[in-house]
Amino acid sequence: MPIHDQSYRRYAGPRNEPGSAWLVIAAAGIRTLLGRKLFLAVMLAAWGQFFVRAVMFYLSANFPTLNVLAPSVETFRQFFDIQEIFVLFVTVYVGSGLIANDRRSNALQIYLSKPLSRVEYVAGKLGILAFFLLMVTLVPALALLLLEAMFSASLAFLLDNLFLVPAIALYALMEVSLASFTMLALSSLSTSARYTAMLYAGALFFTAAVFGILRGATASSMLAWLSLRANVEQIGDVIFRLPPRFESPWPASALVVLLLIGLSALVLERRVRGVEVVT
Amino acid sequence: MSSPHEPPPSPSRPDGPSFLGSVARIYDLSFGQMLWSRRTVFMVLVVGGPVAVALILRLLVSMDLFDAGGEIDGRPVNIDGPVIFGLMIWGFYLSFSVPLLGVFYGTSLIADEVEDRTITYLFTRPVPRGAVLVGKYLAYLVCAGLLVLPSVVLVFFLVVPLLGGSVGAGFPDLLKDLALLAVGLAVYGALFALVGALFKRPLLTGLVFIFGWEPVVIVVPGYMKRFTVSYYLQGLVPHAMPEDGGVTSLVLRVLQANEILPSATVGLVGLAVIVIGGLALAVRLVERREYVLEQ
Repeated sequence: MPIHDQSYRRYAGPRNEPGSAWLVIAAAGIRTLLGRKLFLAVMLAAWGQFFVRAVMFYLSANFPTLNVLAPSVETFRQFFDIQEIFVLFVTVYVGSGLIANDRRSNALQIYLSKPLSRVEYVAGKLGILAFFLLMVTLVPALALLLLEAMFSASLAFLLDNLFLVPAIALYALMEVSLASFTMLALSSLSTSARYTAMLYAGALFFTAAVFGILRGATASSMLAWLSLRANVEQIGDVIFRLPPRFESPWPASALVVLLLIGLSALVLERRVRGVEVVT
Repeated sequence: MSSPHEPPPSPSRPDGPSFLGSVARIYDLSFGQMLWSRRTVFMVLVVGGPVAVALILRLLVSMDLFDAGGEIDGRPVNIDGPVIFGLMIWGFYLSFSVPLLGVFYGTSLIADEVEDRTITYLFTRPVPRGAVLVGKYLAYLVCAGLLVLPSVVLVFFLVVPLLGGSVGAGFPDLLKDLALLAVGLAVYGALFALVGALFKRPLLTGLVFIFGWEPVVIVVPGYMKRFTVSYYLQGLVPHAMPEDGGVTSLVLRVLQANEILPSATVGLVGLAVIVIGGLALAVRLVERREYVLEQ
């Protein structure tokens, strides 16, 4: 067809099934972030613990005198505890600008003028954040479990603690869902990625500080449900079949997490719109 | 009549404002912008939280729902107003509010202008580039101080009289705390002004520093901790640092048996070096750097 012919012509390319457009957004976002050197450095640092633990597993499997380094259920629980800080960094780096930048440059209207529903847009953005968060939680934890079996040349640990596989998956999904939904909701509330990042970090550490003060003042951890981090930790202990670290009931923590995810979904439903009606 | 050998008088050129005059002008402009911005809402939330907690504690005590004694990890503890105030200074202000406000405002002194593409308007005015940074830094300091320090005073009067505490006895500590927090705001602000001038994505660097580097390095034996701000601040705090009483604390106590907290003089000198060095480097960077705005 001559290039100068600009008259109407039908789209002749392949047609994707409705509901799969979120994959385009997710894939584009993941590609963009993988091209940033600073982000790759953050991801590499997040995998640092995996490498240290892998060496420990190798030593414990091959040198009986170093049995103290042998893995246990607590090892995997601690792994997630230490990864929390990287979950924060990745959430802030990846998530703070996901919707805020689109709102800032008025790209949201352009997105939603395409054959793309609001749910698909949010799912695509969630997909970007969830992908990288799972890369620093679920993937290294499962890889460690696999490494343990390979280094010890035995499935004994895995079979004795078979619940670890669903426990790791469930905990990682809970942590990632909470971080992704809350960060995305905050991102939809502002046009500044920096402001969003500070709001998220502020909420996380402020609630932890409130709990810390009240714990010190009341000499009790019954108010652990006030802290976002403590809620995740409390549920994590239950998932890993360990004694809960706080005195507050774990269903209260589960309820807070569910409420936060629900509230975030509601905020996203209200804020992600193609047309903003100003009254 | 002038001699034919004298050089002709140079054409008169209006003198630009001095560095200090420029700083004052930028401060004037930025202070109003900072105080009446959406960010102040964030700041009010950060410093209003402790006041709300103090109010709740006071309410609980007045309703006899709060016990002065208790146990933490099996150890009996006796709590009174000044102890709770010390906890709040450590937990809310020194570990949370001051570093967070420093990161938020310090990194945005220049980054905000770049992001909003308004830095061109500032840099084309007849004021030194460094004065822009210093003026904005002073505006941050006054703005943050005006919000943080009254919050501490409110918390002091709400919490210290609880459970037999004495306001009079604790007043000298309040003055020390106020001075310490002002110093903390100045130091973190200067450090993150440098980070903001140096890095393209300063916020992540700032968060990594305050929530990743400082908490880890401060408990490592040796000289590493001297590369943190909190090490120098520790020597000036009139309250004991709270411990969680767990295994970690026990291990740390053994590891740090021979560690010496910096004296007040060392602390002050260290903090002064960070403020002056940070600001000087930031000014130098801003004056030499070419800012290319993204299209």
